[in-house]
Amino acid sequence: MGGDKSDVLQGTLDLMVLKTLEAMGPLHGYGIARRIEQVSGNVLSLNQGTIYPALLRLEQRGWVKSEWGASETNRRAKFYSLSLIGRKQIEEETENWERVAATMSRFLAPSN
Amino acid sequence: MNQLRILLSRCGAFFRGQRLDEDLDEELRTHIDFAVEENLKRGMSPEVARTTALREFGGVTQTKEAYRMQRGLPLVETLLRDVRYALRQLRKSPGFAVTVLLTLVLGAGAVTAVFSVVDGVLLKPFAFRDPGQVVVWRESIREIEHETPLLPDNYRHYLNLKARAHSIQDAAILQTSSFSVSDGVDHPQLADGLAVSPNFFSLLGVTPFLGRAFAPEEAQRGRDKEVILTWGAWQRLFHGSPTVLGATLRVGGEPQTVVGVLPKWFRFPVMSVMAGEATSGSTERYEIFKPLVPMPDELTANDAEFNYVVVARLQPGVSIRQAQSELDGIEKATAAADGLAIHLGVVVEPFAQEITGEIGRPLWLLFAAVLGVLLMACVNLANLQIARGVAREHETALRSALGAGRARLLQGVLVENLILGAAGGLGAIGFAFLAEKLLTLSAANLPRLNEVHLSIPMLCFALGLSLATSLGFGMVPALRSLRVMPQSALQSSSTRLSGNRQAARSRRLLVAVEIACSVTLLIVTALISRSFSHLLTQDRHFSAQQVVLANADLSASKYTNGGAIPDDPGVDRASLARDAMIDRALDRLRALPGVQSAAVTSVMPLTGDMSVDGVVRLDHPVPQGQVPMANRRFTSPGYFDAMGISLLAGRDFDQRDRENPRVVILSDATAKAAFPGENPLGHTIRHWGRIYTVVGIAADARINDLKRDAPVFYLPYWDYPPPSPVFLVRSSQSIQSLGPEMRRILWSVDPEISIPTVVSMDAQVAESIATERFQTVILSCFGGAALLIAVLGIYGVLAYSVSLRTQEFGIRMALGSNRARLARLVLLDASSPMLGGMVLGLLGAAVVARWIRSLLYETSAADPWAIGLSLAVLLLAALLASLVPVRNATSIDPMRALRTE
Repeated sequence: MGGDKSDVLQGTLDLMVLKTLEAMGPLHGYGIARRIEQVSGNVLSLNQGTIYPALLRLEQRGWVKSEWGASETNRRAKFYSLSLIGRKQIEEETENWERVAATMSRFLAPSN
Repeated sequence: MNQLRILLSRCGAFFRGQRLDEDLDEELRTHIDFAVEENLKRGMSPEVARTTALREFGGVTQTKEAYRMQRGLPLVETLLRDVRYALRQLRKSPGFAVTVLLTLVLGAGAVTAVFSVVDGVLLKPFAFRDPGQVVVWRESIREIEHETPLLPDNYRHYLNLKARAHSIQDAAILQTSSFSVSDGVDHPQLADGLAVSPNFFSLLGVTPFLGRAFAPEEAQRGRDKEVILTWGAWQRLFHGSPTVLGATLRVGGEPQTVVGVLPKWFRFPVMSVMAGEATSGSTERYEIFKPLVPMPDELTANDAEFNYVVVARLQPGVSIRQAQSELDGIEKATAAADGLAIHLGVVVEPFAQEITGEIGRPLWLLFAAVLGVLLMACVNLANLQIARGVAREHETALRSALGAGRARLLQGVLVENLILGAAGGLGAIGFAFLAEKLLTLSAANLPRLNEVHLSIPMLCFALGLSLATSLGFGMVPALRSLRVMPQSALQSSSTRLSGNRQAARSRRLLVAVEIACSVTLLIVTALISRSFSHLLTQDRHFSAQQVVLANADLSASKYTNGGAIPDDPGVDRASLARDAMIDRALDRLRALPGVQSAAVTSVMPLTGDMSVDGVVRLDHPVPQGQVPMANRRFTSPGYFDAMGISLLAGRDFDQRDRENPRVVILSDATAKAAFPGENPLGHTIRHWGRIYTVVGIAADARINDLKRDAPVFYLPYWDYPPPSPVFLVRSSQSIQSLGPEMRRILWSVDPEISIPTVVSMDAQVAESIATERFQTVILSCFGGAALLIAVLGIYGVLAYSVSLRTQEFGIRMALGSNRARLARLVLLDASSPMLGGMVLGLLGAAVVARWIRSLLYETSAADPWAIGLSLAVLLLAALLASLVPVRNATSIDPMRALRTE
């Protein structure tokens, strides 16, 4: 992978997946991966495969559910959507993330 | 909550693994398809579209692996995989698996069984409060110390010591007794019990389960009509009836009231009044307790008999040594103050020592032997594992080259050894049950044997031992083999060979240890076996064939409580009653068909020295302490005939002696001791204040103990009809039917006597050497096992080294070496561990033999036969073990050997 792309921070992928599903509604794995790449402006180096363990993790927590369906090109695919718990969880996860990000930026701000 | 949900989901996935795998496959396939489709749309060629899609996806296999780790229970899954793998590996080498399993099962099982016996007999605390603080004390008289170092206790001395000693909390005095107990319906049975001072139960910290203990005033004559039963006796005699208190039990014909029942857990081991005598029998044997009432003169007389055993509890923090010195001091001071002519002393011993006495050493010897066998078995295991590790080096290297981490490889070996250990442990539990049954059957005369059983901790011990053994002796060699460098191991066999020189060296060392162990064990076994065979084959000077013994108990009151008859104050009624009973019984026994002789004696043969008394001459006084001591036996005419003891001079008793029973027959040794250089016939001795004329000399015979001739003086039974007569019948009829016949006849004379023992003389002889037999049989088993293990070990090492050197031998042969030279080469390989092991083993045997010297009978600890035979057997076995490897080496086909690898 190119040196100009940054690796996905551990744990952030989950939130990206959740936000994607919130924005786009039910989506299959490929769609989620492409969407994340597009939103990040191709800056993130994402092995598309890694979203599958992430999806499983979210599903195990009950934040995401999945079912088999047909894609717009009529291909059989597994579609993921947010569950009720997942929808509520987004807020909490967002807050978490913002807190971390704020802390980080305080560290990174020029010291005075 | 979240964690639980995840765990549940994982567990669910664990069991649906295959379906989910298919799902995932399809999902990922779809993903790639989407990507290819999009790439095509962007105008890529189909080939490029596909590679790009795959590249952007990252590794499909890695994703699947990561997904699976997230999905199911990865730890369990790898474990299961390891288990499956291990099982497959074990199935692939059944010889290895079976050998290891058998080793573990037999090794751990045997150790557990022997340990359970050691634990039950020697280690387990006694069933009363704080048994470690309980001691037994006995008295000594310096003047007779060389004959009898320790005496039972004197009642007056007990009272004195108990009153004055500060090192003891309390002391109880007791006497072993047999009671003829009747429920009034059946023939009375003989029950063993103890006559005890009232503080006996409080001293042991035992409160009766029902009723009460004895009150102090119940130790007085006339107030002692109470008994306390053990739980077992309550069940047996009263069927556990709750109304037992106040019930009447006829003890020795006298009605007695039951005032208490002891708790179920209480057991008191069998005690011997004489010190140093091994006690044997069940700790449930004592069933009845009565108050001990001292004879009036015992309370005052200093020189009254020494008839009792004193059990005491030390003050907390007081050592046995302190108690001993205090009690001994008091005793000596009192004796001096009383102006006694004899020098008294007191010896204090731990209670456990008193009970297990001499049995400790043989038991520990057995335990050491079984540990030795286990050690050898373990060495074999380690050997096998090393060989296996080397054989699997290639595979290990391959796996580590393919990316298996050390931990992962180790986990595999661990799982394999755990499986073997657990399976071996389960087998060991089964085997331990079997072995324990055999042990307890063949060791019926150990003390406390009824307390031996395989408890849950014991079974855990078996399992743990097996696991520890298989892990300890399996993992260490495995760790060694994991240090393999993949590169060198994967290269050709020449490097492997050189790398294995070290493994071969350690294996040879292990075999040397094994041989050392088995040499030691074989020599010890040979010594003990020789000692036992001496015991069996030595002339006993009596003949046991076709003789049956029946012991009748004449302790009912009509046989014991009789006043003197007015006309003849020397004879009492009870004595006449016993006399009449014995006379009538002998008449009827002699009338039985096929009876060659029937007689009576006062003490059961082969039960050790008993009723020992001095043989005193009036015409030739000797200083006190030098009077020859001998066993007193009351016998009837025909006794020597029935026992097969020859008369050397004079005559047997006959009807003449009924009127004038003041005659005596001496055993040869006694005659020589009392009448050195004289003919004793016609001389007199004094006994019980009466004068007896010597009428006969009987040959010495081992009637008390097979290990030595007993010094005896025989008196006619008319002089004092024994209260516990033993009838002997020698018959041409079968022994099996004779016993019941004798019982029937004795009961036809008096249905109210109890007959505790009917046994053939042969069985009595066998019983008397049961400990020695037990020891010999068990040691022989261990010796055999040790030999077998050593043979397996030698075979394993040689066979393996031959297989490694196939190529070398092939080359040697091709270069013109002949078979004999190859055979020598193989044998040379075995000779250094053989010789080293033998020297070590001889050293070990020298140490052990010193320790067991006291167990040997007429066998020197350096018996050349035993040592020579053991070494010869081992050499022969080693030769046998090397036969197959040698044949393999010499039958190598040079062409084929050079082509392999």
